[in-house]
Amino acid sequence: MSKVLGRFTGRILLALSLVAFVAGCALSSPRPAWDEPPPAPAEGPIVSTDDLHRARLANGLEVIVLEDRRLPRISLGFTLRRGAGSVDPELAGLAAVATEVMQRGAGEWDALALAKVVEDAGASLSASAGWDTTGVSLSGLAKDRGLLLEILEEVATRPRFDDGEFQKALAEQQASIVAAQDDPSTLIRWNVLRVLYGGHRYGLPRSGTAESLARIDVEAARAYWIDRFVPSNTLFWAVGDFSAEEVIGEVERRFGSLPDGPVVPNTPPPPLRTPEKRRIVVVDKPDLVQARIILAHEGISRTEPTRIPVDIMNDVLGGSGFSSRLMMSVRADEGLTYGIGSGFSLRGQPGPFSISTFTRVAEVRRVIDILHDELEGIRSDEPVTEEELAKFISYNVGRFGLSLETSEAVLSSLVDLIVHGLPDDSLDTYRGRVRAVTLDDVRDAAQVRLAPERAAIVLLGPAEELVPQVEDLAPVEVWQP
Amino acid sequence: MKSSIRWPRGRSGRPDTFPAASRAGGSQRAIGLSRILYTVASLFLVASVSLADEAIRDPVEGLVMTTLDNGLRVVLLEDHRTPVVAFQIWVDAGSSDESFYTGIAHLFEHMMFKGSENIDEEVHAQLINERGGRINAYTSRDVTVYHEDVTSESLPLVIDLEAERFANLDISEETLESEREVVLEERRLRTEDTPDGRGFEALAALVWQAHPYRWPVIGWRSDVEQVTVAACQVFFDTYYAANNLTVVIVGDFESEPTLARIRRTFGTLRAAEAIPRNPTSVVEQRGERRAEVHYDVQIPLLYAGWHTPPTGHADGEALDIASQVLSGGRSSRLYRSLVYEKEQALYAHGGYMEHTDAGMFYAIAGARPGVPVAEVESSFMAEIDEIARNGVSEEEVVRAKRQMEVALVNRLATNHALASRIGREIVAFGRVRPLSERIEAIRAVTVEDVQRVVRRYLRRESRSVVRVISPPPDAATRAVAGGSDR
Repeated sequence: MSKVLGRFTGRILLALSLVAFVAGCALSSPRPAWDEPPPAPAEGPIVSTDDLHRARLANGLEVIVLEDRRLPRISLGFTLRRGAGSVDPELAGLAAVATEVMQRGAGEWDALALAKVVEDAGASLSASAGWDTTGVSLSGLAKDRGLLLEILEEVATRPRFDDGEFQKALAEQQASIVAAQDDPSTLIRWNVLRVLYGGHRYGLPRSGTAESLARIDVEAARAYWIDRFVPSNTLFWAVGDFSAEEVIGEVERRFGSLPDGPVVPNTPPPPLRTPEKRRIVVVDKPDLVQARIILAHEGISRTEPTRIPVDIMNDVLGGSGFSSRLMMSVRADEGLTYGIGSGFSLRGQPGPFSISTFTRVAEVRRVIDILHDELEGIRSDEPVTEEELAKFISYNVGRFGLSLETSEAVLSSLVDLIVHGLPDDSLDTYRGRVRAVTLDDVRDAAQVRLAPERAAIVLLGPAEELVPQVEDLAPVEVWQP
Repeated sequence: MKSSIRWPRGRSGRPDTFPAASRAGGSQRAIGLSRILYTVASLFLVASVSLADEAIRDPVEGLVMTTLDNGLRVVLLEDHRTPVVAFQIWVDAGSSDESFYTGIAHLFEHMMFKGSENIDEEVHAQLINERGGRINAYTSRDVTVYHEDVTSESLPLVIDLEAERFANLDISEETLESEREVVLEERRLRTEDTPDGRGFEALAALVWQAHPYRWPVIGWRSDVEQVTVAACQVFFDTYYAANNLTVVIVGDFESEPTLARIRRTFGTLRAAEAIPRNPTSVVEQRGERRAEVHYDVQIPLLYAGWHTPPTGHADGEALDIASQVLSGGRSSRLYRSLVYEKEQALYAHGGYMEHTDAGMFYAIAGARPGVPVAEVESSFMAEIDEIARNGVSEEEVVRAKRQMEVALVNRLATNHALASRIGREIVAFGRVRPLSERIEAIRAVTVEDVQRVVRRYLRRESRSVVRVISPPPDAATRAVAGGSDR
């Protein structure tokens, strides 16, 4: 039941001694490090055989545990392979409300008792839903493992879903939707979803709308969890200071007899192309002194085979902070913004690609023109260069090593792979796959995945000053927030 | 410190810290809580401690601290668990050191990315980025911190690039102009277009009235618009001197060659004769202060602040426990009362914010739609009054202590978090307080202590209250009332 992902220590030691050697050479030289060729990064297989253990129980429950004895703490939980994407748009917000109510009572514990049993241990409990997954997790001290597992069992198998708690959670979520009107970044993102995905579930925020929340009752919330928490749809994970074998045994005892069952379907695919032609929407917020700008269209899914070249292309464009073309042209050269980024929202089904920034109201058109120039440039007359490709291969290889500093991060990456059905050895092969990317791959990614001519342009700010700046580009729709 | 008069001396005056080796005599800074003391090449040895009943080794026991001849402090902590390194430079200067243009400390932090003699504009960040590293910086009221997290083999690059910009920074008219615009966008983003940014800015101005903490770290708009290259140069020469800097490195590296490299690259930085500090201390508050901020909001916001002691004060842990009792999770009093039971607020919390010269206990709440902010305020203050009158329970204090101890464990997990703890404590206290000392101080707090600090500090006559509310229908336009932010 254990799975080998590789061996770590020996190669790292070798790599370290190489690093020490390189550092020693650099010392005797007056040349600064930026004039020296970059040393090869220390790298090796990601997780040691001895530490990572996997199992599948007879009822279909998958188990993955990673031992890390460095600090006396643990995190554990369930991840379900269905999330907000598996809810009818009519009931948007259901996943968010259901997971909130789950934190408000389980088994013998009412809301306050549950909060106290968690917090008395200095632990934390969280339940939440993304587009593709729903999770319940706990973290705390290693010595409280038994208690954390008991709380997990109660919350997952005996959530109370008291109507009183449901009503309170619903009211809170209704209020936070109103409060989001005061947050420009949330407000514009919600409007972008609506522009791109209309009646599809991706067209509404995960937290739902006032209208969709009004259709939800406590039975729907309970059913949300029960329909999805079936062993063959569920992954148990744990990371921290414990014996993996003990933990797997405890999981078997507590959850081995859960009956398996059918799984609700996931979201249907969103439109392959959206929008079909350029669409400009101005969301009117007269008080703002800074306008928000998002350019968006369809993107790729988490399992897209060309994801790595697409990532690298996006890093060149706007995904890599100060190394990206957009940051240099819009912020560093022109001082038009404090921040700008581009990215693909990776989900089970293709989520949006977007470029997001903000600038003083009077400069919005100038920024849009730069965005278009950069998008056109990377697709045609200024494609990604050899030099850029080399830089961003190095960027991704290095960032990958850095991102796995903690075992929690390693485990969370492994869970993500499992949830999306990607190969188990994806972490071990990642750096090799990055290095194998060619200039053609990246240029193709720009050609295929960017569509500046029909991208939606969504602006948030005073319509009176924004509309005249963009009305020559396409007909402008003005929306109220 | 930038002179603190109101508060008794905190822990930094203890005999287990060392006399100042680096600061040139004649500093205009009044002797204060923090920045006094430093040690030369000392090694702390601390036994493992029991944290929340778990035996745990405090990594700072391996700390190697050195002061170069020019006064630069270097703190190294080897930790070979994963092949990554955190590098930070702490500049002992923040917005409260500004004396003419507010916001110059932060604008200057931006200028540090705009090129130097041998490195073009933005190239430093790009070189780190292109090896997968993370690089950024931040400015607070007390300090400015430049930080990089990289895989081990890139540490020499980080050291050379950092030394280069501290030694050879190039401040030009052109880069200042474009960066000024960037900072003004940041100000619009964080303050002008957000009700919470507006609310907190107003609260700090009200609470700190005279002390340099009163202005926002990002500065007032007019000042950012007028900062000059000459002023930047003066700020750099004054505060970016070697004896006002601390380099902290944590992670997978070898101390000896690393220290040698730092000596070679940073050793030539100039020391300053004296580091001037603003003389204004916190003025005693006699009576409640109130303000309204008119902004088009869906949910009105409540902000309140009380004067509390500066970082390192003996009452700090009791104030932290009071914060936990009020705000630490779903069992906390503010959540239970305002959010859960009365459903008046969408969120409500309060906490103890530590700064070098003075602290603030703050309260923040967002009203539910349709609930008058006055009701939220009255419920909030009722919870404070309840503790002042009837105290807290043993159960609450035990829970708060456990939560705080677990948080200390969690902060040991990454090199970045360790480096931040080391830098913060070295700048504030001249030493890193061992975990055992932190735990001991937390455990020593009694139920009575919590009630005592709430009674002593969270008094009505020393509080300031800001409400962010939609303008009344007949209000004059913002522009008439004293300048527009556009």
